[in-house]
Amino acid sequence: MAGLVPPGIPAVPADVSHTAHTKHDEKTDYMNLPCPIPYEELHREALMSLKPETFEGLRFDFTKGLNQKFSLSHSVIMGPTEIPSQSAETIKIPTAHYEFGANFIDPNLMLIGRVMTDGRLNARVKCDLTDNLTVKANAQLTNEPHMSHGMFNFDYKGKDFRSQFQMGNGALFGANYIQSVTPHFSLGGEVFWAGQHRKSGIGYAARYETDKMVATGQVANTGIVALSYVQKVSDKVSLASDFMYNYLSKDVTASVGYDYILRQCRLRGKIDSNGCTTSYLEERLNMGLNFILSAEIDHRKKDYKFGFGLTVG
Amino acid sequence: MAAQPKRGGVSLPERGSASKPESSILARITSSPIVSRGKQAASDAAFVSKKLIHSTGKAAWIAGTTFLILVVPLIIEMDREQQFNELELQQASLLGAPPTAPAVALLVESI
Repeated sequence: MAGLVPPGIPAVPADVSHTAHTKHDEKTDYMNLPCPIPYEELHREALMSLKPETFEGLRFDFTKGLNQKFSLSHSVIMGPTEIPSQSAETIKIPTAHYEFGANFIDPNLMLIGRVMTDGRLNARVKCDLTDNLTVKANAQLTNEPHMSHGMFNFDYKGKDFRSQFQMGNGALFGANYIQSVTPHFSLGGEVFWAGQHRKSGIGYAARYETDKMVATGQVANTGIVALSYVQKVSDKVSLASDFMYNYLSKDVTASVGYDYILRQCRLRGKIDSNGCTTSYLEERLNMGLNFILSAEIDHRKKDYKFGFGLTVG
Repeated sequence: MAAQPKRGGVSLPERGSASKPESSILARITSSPIVSRGKQAASDAAFVSKKLIHSTGKAAWIAGTTFLILVVPLIIEMDREQQFNELELQQASLLGAPPTAPAVALLVESI
Protein backbone atom coordinates (compact mmCIF):
# COMPACT_ATOMS: atom_id res chain seq x y z
CA MET A 1 0.00 0.00 0.00
CA ALA A 2 2.95 2.30 0.46
CA GLY A 3 3.31 2.69 -3.26
CA LEU A 4 -0.17 4.02 -3.77
CA VAL A 5 -0.32 7.75 -3.61
CA PRO A 6 -3.84 9.08 -3.74
CA PRO A 7 -4.20 10.74 -7.07
CA GLY A 8 -6.86 13.07 -8.31
CA ILE A 9 -9.83 12.28 -10.40
CA PRO A 10 -11.66 14.63 -12.60
CA ALA A 11 -13.75 12.15 -14.57
CA VAL A 12 -14.78 9.41 -12.17
CA PRO A 13 -17.27 11.35 -10.02
CA ALA A 14 -19.71 11.74 -12.88
CA ASP A 15 -19.86 7.98 -13.42
CA VAL A 16 -20.13 7.01 -9.79
CA SER A 17 -22.80 9.51 -8.87
CA HIS A 18 -25.13 8.04 -11.46
CA THR A 19 -25.27 4.84 -9.49
CA ALA A 20 -26.89 6.63 -6.55
CA HIS A 21 -30.55 6.22 -7.49
CA THR A 22 -32.92 9.06 -7.24
CA LYS A 23 -36.03 6.95 -6.85
CA HIS A 24 -37.16 6.41 -3.29
CA ASP A 25 -36.67 2.86 -2.05
CA GLU A 26 -38.68 1.64 0.90
CA LYS A 27 -35.85 -0.09 2.66
CA THR A 28 -32.95 2.22 1.96
CA ASP A 29 -33.27 5.92 1.48
CA TYR A 30 -30.75 6.69 -1.20
CA MET A 31 -31.02 10.37 -0.50
CA ASN A 32 -29.74 10.01 3.02
CA LEU A 33 -26.72 7.82 2.75
CA PRO A 34 -24.06 8.07 5.41
CA CYS A 35 -20.79 9.79 4.69
CA PRO A 36 -18.12 7.30 3.74
CA ILE A 37 -14.78 7.13 5.49
CA PRO A 38 -11.83 8.91 3.87
CA TYR A 39 -10.21 7.15 0.96
CA GLU A 40 -6.86 6.66 2.64
CA GLU A 41 -8.55 5.02 5.59
CA LEU A 42 -10.26 2.43 3.46
CA HIS A 43 -8.29 -0.42 4.92
CA ARG A 44 -8.34 1.09 8.38
CA GLU A 45 -9.68 -1.88 10.30
CA ALA A 46 -7.42 -4.36 8.57
CA LEU A 47 -4.40 -2.14 9.01
CA MET A 48 -5.09 -1.61 12.68
CA SER A 49 -5.40 -5.30 13.32
CA LEU A 50 -2.75 -6.67 11.02
CA LYS A 51 -0.05 -4.03 10.98
CA PRO A 52 0.84 -2.87 14.42
CA GLU A 53 3.99 -0.77 14.65
CA THR A 54 6.45 -3.45 15.61
CA PHE A 55 9.85 -2.24 16.56
CA GLU A 56 13.13 -3.59 17.78
CA GLY A 57 14.85 -2.42 20.90
CA LEU A 58 13.66 -0.01 23.51
CA ARG A 59 11.02 2.63 23.09
CA PHE A 60 10.07 5.10 25.72
CA ASP A 61 7.41 7.77 25.17
CA PHE A 62 6.48 10.41 27.60
CA THR A 63 3.66 12.83 26.86
CA LYS A 64 2.96 15.68 29.16
CA GLY A 65 -0.03 17.90 28.75
CA LEU A 66 0.64 21.48 29.67
CA ASN A 67 -2.78 22.72 28.81
CA GLN A 68 -6.02 21.32 27.58
CA LYS A 69 -4.88 21.81 24.04
CA PHE A 70 -1.13 21.80 24.16
CA SER A 71 1.18 18.93 25.03
CA LEU A 72 4.82 18.08 24.76
CA SER A 73 6.25 14.68 24.13
CA HIS A 74 9.65 13.16 24.72
CA SER A 75 10.69 9.92 23.17
CA VAL A 76 13.77 7.75 23.41
CA ILE A 77 14.34 5.02 20.88
CA MET A 78 17.32 2.70 21.04
CA GLY A 79 17.87 -0.38 19.01
CA PRO A 80 19.15 -1.84 15.81
CA THR A 81 17.81 -0.31 12.64
CA GLU A 82 17.72 -2.22 9.42
CA ILE A 83 19.59 -0.89 6.43
CA PRO A 84 18.17 -2.00 3.09
CA SER A 85 20.84 -4.08 1.44
CA GLN A 86 21.02 -5.74 -1.94
CA SER A 87 22.22 -9.07 -0.64
CA ALA A 88 20.01 -11.53 1.20
CA GLU A 89 21.63 -10.62 4.51
CA THR A 90 19.88 -8.06 6.65
CA ILE A 91 22.27 -5.46 7.95
CA LYS A 92 21.40 -3.91 11.26
CA ILE A 93 23.10 -0.92 12.75
CA PRO A 94 22.45 0.05 16.35
CA THR A 95 21.09 3.54 16.61
CA ALA A 96 19.73 5.59 19.42
CA HIS A 97 17.92 8.86 19.28
CA TYR A 98 15.76 11.20 21.22
CA GLU A 99 12.72 12.85 19.74
CA PHE A 100 11.03 15.94 21.05
CA GLY A 101 7.56 16.83 19.97
CA ALA A 102 4.84 19.34 20.55
CA ASN A 103 1.15 18.93 19.83
CA PHE A 104 -1.53 21.53 19.69
CA ILE A 105 -4.99 20.05 19.35
CA ASP A 106 -8.03 22.21 18.86
CA PRO A 107 -11.35 21.14 17.36
CA ASN A 108 -10.55 23.09 14.23
CA LEU A 109 -6.81 23.12 14.12
CA MET A 110 -4.26 20.47 14.85
CA LEU A 111 -0.52 21.07 14.79
CA ILE A 112 1.98 18.34 15.43
CA GLY A 113 5.72 18.70 15.26
CA ARG A 114 8.53 16.30 15.99
CA VAL A 115 12.26 16.84 15.86
CA MET A 116 14.88 14.15 16.30
CA THR A 117 18.49 14.21 17.33
CA ASP A 118 19.59 13.01 13.92
CA GLY A 119 18.27 16.18 12.41
CA ARG A 120 14.93 15.04 11.08
CA LEU A 121 11.92 17.28 11.43
CA ASN A 122 8.40 16.08 10.98
CA ALA A 123 5.45 18.47 10.93
CA ARG A 124 1.75 17.94 10.38
CA VAL A 125 -0.99 20.49 10.17
CA LYS A 126 -4.68 19.84 9.89
CA CYS A 127 -7.06 22.74 9.65
CA ASP A 128 -10.85 22.66 9.27
CA LEU A 129 -11.55 25.75 7.25
CA THR A 130 -15.27 25.20 7.16
CA ASP A 131 -17.49 22.30 8.11
CA ASN A 132 -16.79 20.57 4.86
CA LEU A 133 -13.39 21.74 3.76
CA THR A 134 -10.22 20.57 5.46
CA VAL A 135 -6.63 21.38 4.64
CA LYS A 136 -3.85 19.07 5.71
CA ALA A 137 -0.15 19.51 5.29
CA ASN A 138 2.66 17.12 6.02
CA ALA A 139 6.37 17.84 5.84
CA GLN A 140 9.46 15.77 6.53
CA LEU A 141 12.78 17.55 6.45
CA THR A 142 16.11 15.80 6.73
CA ASN A 143 19.73 16.72 6.58
CA GLU A 144 20.37 14.65 3.50
CA PRO A 145 19.79 16.52 0.29
CA HIS A 146 16.82 15.54 -1.87
CA MET A 147 15.31 13.46 0.87
CA SER A 148 12.91 16.03 2.24
CA HIS A 149 9.36 16.05 1.11
CA GLY A 150 6.11 17.76 1.83
CA MET A 151 2.53 17.30 0.81
CA PHE A 152 -0.65 19.32 0.91
CA ASN A 153 -4.12 17.76 0.97
CA PHE A 154 -7.40 19.53 0.39
CA ASP A 155 -10.40 17.50 1.50
CA TYR A 156 -13.96 18.26 0.69
CA LYS A 157 -16.66 16.35 2.46
CA GLY A 158 -20.07 16.25 0.86
CA LYS A 159 -23.28 14.69 2.12
CA ASP A 160 -22.47 11.18 0.99
CA PHE A 161 -19.13 11.57 -0.69
CA ARG A 162 -15.62 12.70 0.03
CA SER A 163 -13.08 14.05 -2.37
CA GLN A 164 -9.48 14.94 -1.86
CA PHE A 165 -6.83 16.70 -3.87
CA GLN A 166 -3.14 16.28 -3.10
CA MET A 167 -0.07 18.22 -4.09
CA GLY A 168 3.40 17.17 -3.12
CA ASN A 169 6.92 18.22 -3.90
CA GLY A 170 8.52 16.66 -6.91
CA ALA A 171 5.43 17.59 -8.92
CA LEU A 172 3.28 14.97 -7.28
CA PHE A 173 -0.42 15.46 -7.87
CA GLY A 174 -3.22 13.24 -6.85
CA ALA A 175 -6.92 13.20 -6.24
CA ASN A 176 -9.36 10.68 -4.97
CA TYR A 177 -13.08 10.38 -4.55
CA ILE A 178 -15.27 8.04 -2.60
CA GLN A 179 -19.05 7.81 -2.68
CA SER A 180 -21.58 5.92 -0.61
CA VAL A 181 -23.68 3.82 -2.92
CA THR A 182 -25.83 2.06 -0.37
CA PRO A 183 -25.80 2.46 3.42
CA HIS A 184 -23.22 -0.31 3.62
CA PHE A 185 -21.32 -0.10 0.37
CA SER A 186 -19.08 2.62 -0.97
CA LEU A 187 -17.01 2.91 -4.09
CA GLY A 188 -14.12 5.15 -4.84
CA GLY A 189 -11.37 5.86 -7.25
CA GLU A 190 -8.06 7.64 -7.34
CA VAL A 191 -5.69 9.08 -9.90
CA PHE A 192 -2.16 10.29 -9.40
CA TRP A 193 0.63 11.76 -11.41
CA ALA A 194 4.25 11.86 -10.29
CA GLY A 195 6.13 14.39 -12.34
CA GLN A 196 9.60 13.54 -11.19
CA HIS A 197 9.35 9.91 -12.17
CA ARG A 198 6.96 10.54 -15.04
CA LYS A 199 4.51 8.02 -13.69
CA SER A 200 0.78 8.13 -13.45
CA GLY A 201 -1.72 5.73 -12.14
CA ILE A 202 -5.35 5.09 -11.53
CA GLY A 203 -6.98 2.93 -8.95
CA TYR A 204 -10.39 1.84 -7.75
CA ALA A 205 -11.58 0.81 -4.37
CA ALA A 206 -14.69 -0.65 -2.83
CA ARG A 207 -15.72 -1.09 0.76
CA TYR A 208 -18.60 -3.04 2.23
CA GLU A 209 -19.22 -2.76 5.90
CA THR A 210 -21.85 -3.95 8.32
CA ASP A 211 -21.87 -4.04 12.08
CA LYS A 212 -20.08 -7.32 12.13
CA MET A 213 -17.68 -7.20 9.25
CA VAL A 214 -15.79 -5.00 6.87
CA ALA A 215 -14.62 -6.11 3.46
CA THR A 216 -12.53 -3.91 1.23
CA GLY A 217 -10.90 -4.29 -2.12
CA GLN A 218 -8.52 -2.08 -4.01
CA VAL A 219 -7.05 -2.33 -7.49
CA ALA A 220 -4.48 -0.03 -9.03
CA ASN A 221 -2.76 0.07 -12.37
CA THR A 222 0.60 -0.07 -10.59
CA GLY A 223 -0.26 -3.74 -10.40
CA ILE A 224 -1.52 -4.02 -6.87
CA VAL A 225 -4.66 -5.86 -5.95
CA ALA A 226 -5.42 -5.74 -2.24
CA LEU A 227 -8.36 -7.39 -0.54
CA SER A 228 -9.07 -7.48 3.14
CA TYR A 229 -11.74 -8.84 5.41
CA VAL A 230 -12.28 -8.09 9.06
CA GLN A 231 -14.85 -9.91 11.14
CA LYS A 232 -15.84 -8.59 14.52
CA VAL A 233 -16.46 -11.77 16.42
CA SER A 234 -17.43 -10.02 19.63
CA ASP A 235 -16.84 -6.57 21.04
CA LYS A 236 -13.50 -7.71 22.38
CA VAL A 237 -12.23 -9.85 19.55
CA SER A 238 -11.86 -9.28 15.88
CA LEU A 239 -10.22 -11.41 13.26
CA ALA A 240 -8.72 -9.99 10.12
CA SER A 241 -7.25 -11.33 6.94
CA ASP A 242 -5.52 -9.62 4.09
CA PHE A 243 -4.50 -10.60 0.60
CA MET A 244 -2.18 -8.61 -1.57
CA TYR A 245 -1.23 -9.52 -5.10
CA ASN A 246 0.97 -7.63 -7.49
CA TYR A 247 0.12 -8.78 -10.97
CA LEU A 248 3.11 -7.09 -12.52
CA SER A 249 5.75 -8.54 -10.31
CA LYS A 250 3.77 -11.70 -9.41
CA ASP A 251 4.20 -11.15 -5.74
CA VAL A 252 1.62 -12.61 -3.39
CA THR A 253 1.19 -12.11 0.32
CA ALA A 254 -1.63 -13.30 2.52
CA SER A 255 -1.91 -12.77 6.21
CA VAL A 256 -4.30 -13.68 8.98
CA GLY A 257 -4.43 -12.07 12.35
CA TYR A 258 -6.41 -11.46 15.48
CA ASP A 259 -7.01 -8.42 17.63
CA TYR A 260 -8.07 -8.83 21.22
CA ILE A 261 -9.09 -5.68 23.02
CA LEU A 262 -9.43 -6.58 26.66
CA ARG A 263 -9.83 -4.24 29.54
CA GLN A 264 -6.25 -4.19 30.64
CA CYS A 265 -4.51 -4.84 27.40
CA ARG A 266 -4.63 -5.00 23.65
CA LEU A 267 -3.06 -7.96 21.92
CA ARG A 268 -2.58 -8.25 18.19
CA GLY A 269 -1.10 -11.27 16.48
CA LYS A 270 -0.59 -12.07 12.86
CA ILE A 271 0.86 -14.78 10.70
CA ASP A 272 1.94 -14.28 7.14
CA SER A 273 2.47 -16.35 4.04
CA ASN A 274 6.07 -15.12 3.93
CA GLY A 275 6.70 -17.15 7.04
CA CYS A 276 6.58 -14.11 9.29
CA THR A 277 4.65 -13.95 12.55
CA THR A 278 4.28 -10.85 14.64
CA SER A 279 2.70 -10.10 17.94
CA TYR A 280 2.13 -6.79 19.66
CA LEU A 281 0.96 -6.39 23.22
CA GLU A 282 0.02 -3.15 24.94
CA GLU A 283 -0.69 -3.65 28.59
CA ARG A 284 -2.03 -1.04 30.92
CA LEU A 285 -0.02 -1.22 34.07
CA ASN A 286 -1.53 1.78 35.71
CA MET A 287 -3.49 4.87 34.81
CA GLY A 288 -1.63 6.44 31.92
CA LEU A 289 1.18 3.88 32.00
CA ASN A 290 1.32 1.40 29.18
CA PHE A 291 3.81 -1.36 28.70
CA ILE A 292 4.48 -2.46 25.14
CA LEU A 293 5.97 -5.71 23.91
CA SER A 294 6.60 -6.36 20.28
CA ALA A 295 7.84 -9.54 18.63
CA GLU A 296 8.45 -10.33 15.02
CA ILE A 297 9.85 -13.62 13.80
CA ASP A 298 10.69 -14.21 10.17
CA HIS A 299 11.34 -17.92 9.74
CA ARG A 300 12.41 -17.66 6.14
CA LYS A 301 15.03 -14.97 6.56
CA LYS A 302 15.83 -16.04 10.11
CA ASP A 303 15.36 -12.48 11.32
CA TYR A 304 14.13 -12.04 14.88
CA LYS A 305 13.07 -8.71 16.27
CA PHE A 306 11.93 -8.16 19.80
CA GLY A 307 11.20 -4.89 21.43
CA PHE A 308 9.81 -3.53 24.61
CA GLY A 309 8.71 -0.11 25.62
CA LEU A 310 6.88 2.08 28.00
CA THR A 311 4.39 4.80 27.21
CA VAL A 312 3.57 7.36 29.82
CA GLY A 313 0.73 9.77 29.38
CA MET B 1 19.95 -48.65 -6.91
CA ALA B 2 22.14 -47.86 -9.92
CA ALA B 3 22.90 -44.22 -10.66
CA GLN B 4 19.55 -42.51 -11.37
CA PRO B 5 18.94 -38.88 -12.32
CA LYS B 6 18.13 -36.90 -9.20
CA ARG B 7 14.45 -36.06 -9.05
CA GLY B 8 13.98 -34.24 -5.84
CA GLY B 9 16.26 -32.65 -3.31
CA VAL B 10 16.92 -35.83 -1.45
CA SER B 11 17.95 -39.17 -2.82
CA LEU B 12 19.62 -42.13 -1.39
CA PRO B 13 23.39 -42.27 -1.69
CA GLU B 14 25.08 -44.11 -4.53
CA ARG B 15 26.18 -47.65 -3.96
CA GLY B 16 29.31 -49.37 -5.13
CA SER B 17 29.22 -52.82 -6.62
CA ALA B 18 29.01 -55.78 -4.24
CA SER B 19 32.38 -57.03 -2.97
CA LYS B 20 33.78 -60.36 -4.25
CA PRO B 21 32.64 -63.49 -2.26
CA GLU B 22 35.38 -65.16 -0.12
CA SER B 23 35.92 -68.81 0.61
CA SER B 24 35.11 -69.23 4.39
CA ILE B 25 31.50 -69.99 5.42
CA LEU B 26 31.15 -66.92 7.61
CA ALA B 27 32.53 -64.67 4.92
CA ARG B 28 30.19 -66.34 2.41
CA ILE B 29 27.22 -65.72 4.68
CA THR B 30 28.10 -62.12 5.37
CA SER B 31 28.67 -61.40 1.69
CA SER B 32 25.61 -63.28 0.45
CA PRO B 33 23.01 -61.26 -1.39
CA ILE B 34 20.44 -61.46 1.38
CA VAL B 35 22.78 -60.03 3.99
CA SER B 36 24.09 -57.33 1.71
CA ARG B 37 20.53 -56.40 0.79
CA GLY B 38 19.71 -56.25 4.44
CA LYS B 39 22.70 -53.99 5.10
CA GLN B 40 21.68 -51.69 2.27
CA ALA B 41 18.14 -51.54 3.56
CA ALA B 42 19.35 -50.74 7.06
CA SER B 43 21.58 -47.90 5.89
CA ASP B 44 18.78 -46.56 3.71
CA ALA B 45 16.44 -46.65 6.66
CA ALA B 46 19.00 -44.88 8.82
CA PHE B 47 19.49 -42.16 6.21
CA VAL B 48 15.79 -41.62 5.70
CA SER B 49 15.03 -41.56 9.38
CA LYS B 50 17.83 -39.06 9.95
CA LYS B 51 16.35 -36.76 7.34
CA LEU B 52 12.91 -37.26 8.84
CA ILE B 53 14.13 -36.41 12.31
CA HIS B 54 15.81 -33.29 11.00
CA SER B 55 12.74 -32.05 9.18
CA THR B 56 10.48 -32.96 12.07
CA GLY B 57 12.83 -31.04 14.30
CA LYS B 58 12.72 -28.02 12.04
CA ALA B 59 8.95 -28.17 11.82
CA ALA B 60 8.67 -28.54 15.56
CA TRP B 61 10.93 -25.54 16.07
CA ILE B 62 8.92 -23.37 13.72
CA ALA B 63 5.63 -24.51 15.19
CA GLY B 64 6.92 -24.08 18.73
CA THR B 65 8.25 -20.57 18.32
CA THR B 66 5.19 -19.48 16.39
CA PHE B 67 2.96 -20.89 19.12
CA LEU B 68 5.05 -19.10 21.71
CA ILE B 69 4.71 -15.77 19.97
CA LEU B 70 1.08 -15.99 18.93
CA VAL B 71 -0.72 -18.05 21.50
CA VAL B 72 1.07 -17.83 24.84
CA PRO B 73 0.47 -14.09 25.41
CA LEU B 74 -3.15 -14.67 24.47
CA ILE B 75 -3.56 -17.41 27.05
CA ILE B 76 -1.88 -15.31 29.70
CA GLU B 77 -4.01 -12.27 28.98
CA MET B 78 -7.25 -14.21 28.84
CA ASP B 79 -6.41 -15.79 32.15
CA ARG B 80 -5.75 -12.39 33.68
CA GLU B 81 -9.01 -11.08 32.29
CA GLN B 82 -10.86 -13.99 33.83
CA GLN B 83 -9.18 -13.42 37.18
CA PHE B 84 -10.04 -9.75 36.99
CA ASN B 85 -13.66 -10.60 36.26
CA GLU B 86 -13.83 -12.99 39.16
CA LEU B 87 -12.33 -10.42 41.47
CA GLU B 88 -14.88 -7.90 40.34
CA LEU B 89 -17.71 -10.35 40.88
CA GLN B 90 -16.39 -11.12 44.34
CA GLN B 91 -16.10 -7.46 45.22
CA ALA B 92 -19.56 -6.80 43.91
CA SER B 93 -21.08 -9.58 45.94
CA LEU B 94 -19.03 -8.59 48.99
CA LEU B 95 -20.55 -5.17 49.08
CA GLY B 96 -23.95 -6.76 49.51
CA ALA B 97 -26.23 -8.03 46.82
CA PRO B 98 -27.65 -6.55 44.71
CA PRO B 99 -25.60 -3.42 44.30
CA THR B 100 -27.25 -0.67 42.30
CA ALA B 101 -26.05 -0.24 38.76
CA PRO B 102 -24.37 3.15 39.19
CA ALA B 103 -22.57 1.90 42.30
CA VAL B 104 -21.23 -1.06 40.39
CA ALA B 105 -20.12 1.23 37.60
CA LEU B 106 -18.31 3.44 40.10
CA LEU B 107 -16.68 0.41 41.62
CA VAL B 108 -15.52 -0.77 38.24
CA GLU B 109 -14.11 2.69 37.50
CA SER B 110 -12.18 2.80 40.71
CA ILE B 111 -10.51 -0.57 40.26
